[in-house]
Amino acid sequence: MIRSIHPRKLLASLLIAIAVGFLLEPSVLAAAKLEGQWTLAITIPDAPNSATTLTLTLNMDVSPRDGSLHGRVTMTDQAGRTVSGAWRQVGKSVSIAFELPCPGDVPCASVILLGKVKGGGFVIKKGTVIVMWDTANNKNPALFDTSNGSFRGDRLQ
Amino acid sequence: MRISVRFLALGSIACCVISTSIGKPTEVTAQTERTLAGEWIVRSSPIDGKMASPKGITLGFPERDMVFEQQGDLRTGVVLREDVGQNVKPLGVWRVMGDDFSTTFQLWCPDTNGPCGSIVMRGTFVRDDRISGTMTAFFDQEDTSTPTGFDTWTFSFVGNRVGGSQ
Repeated sequence: MIRSIHPRKLLASLLIAIAVGFLLEPSVLAAAKLEGQWTLAITIPDAPNSATTLTLTLNMDVSPRDGSLHGRVTMTDQAGRTVSGAWRQVGKSVSIAFELPCPGDVPCASVILLGKVKGGGFVIKKGTVIVMWDTANNKNPALFDTSNGSFRGDRLQ
Repeated sequence: MRISVRFLALGSIACCVISTSIGKPTEVTAQTERTLAGEWIVRSSPIDGKMASPKGITLGFPERDMVFEQQGDLRTGVVLREDVGQNVKPLGVWRVMGDDFSTTFQLWCPDTNGPCGSIVMRGTFVRDDRISGTMTAFFDQEDTSTPTGFDTWTFSFVGNRVGGSQ
């Protein structure tokens, strides 16, 4: 004998199941937070006005904001150079600003990463990168050369 | 007699060398590494009368109390905005290249519905205790007329180190 379930009861059961799921797994609620350890793949031009791109792999350690609107990060490149950065977040949207870890006499730059934390807090896909180089350019509204790039982030921890 | 003439000549040369060395700083001291570490009062002003971004966003031109620190390779900065609130502390980072420097800060945006953004400063040390340059605001708002695609506004600044801070 097959008994039909009333749609209201089915909806109520589903809502209860979802609520219990959230209670049992608090990290789901906190999933959109940026704090923690990430690996970033940042693709930007290799120099001002260059069509050649390079992909930087950086390990990012994001400190908690401790009730502030802003927090600190450290970025370590594959050569072991570490620089500091600052981040902010509203909802899923994050912004991370830092100075490139530059080896020396090549054009250096400031970098702003804009993206959304998705995948339950474990991934940032198709993020946008603003690069402001050290080379002056009076024709650019920033008064310095700028470039765009993209990045992806994957949570390590 | 010959010996005394030689001594006199050597003595004269030595005196010349010593006086030249004392009169001028050595090359090493002349090229001391610049640093932003310390506290600075920074005043900004518009360029060509541009009081706001093309999309109409402005930060005004208040005096900023900025503190920079260095711990090893980590160079951090904070803007003290106690005039606005005790916990209002926008964070940033910095680096120095010879006489030039760069800093990047996040804007403090308590209104989550309003626009926010980031600031990049490019400047030069006029002296160890005086800086000047430009600040560029990249707002998180689309502007297809700019190369980056984001609303962009640039203004100038001068800064003075707070007495003896470093």
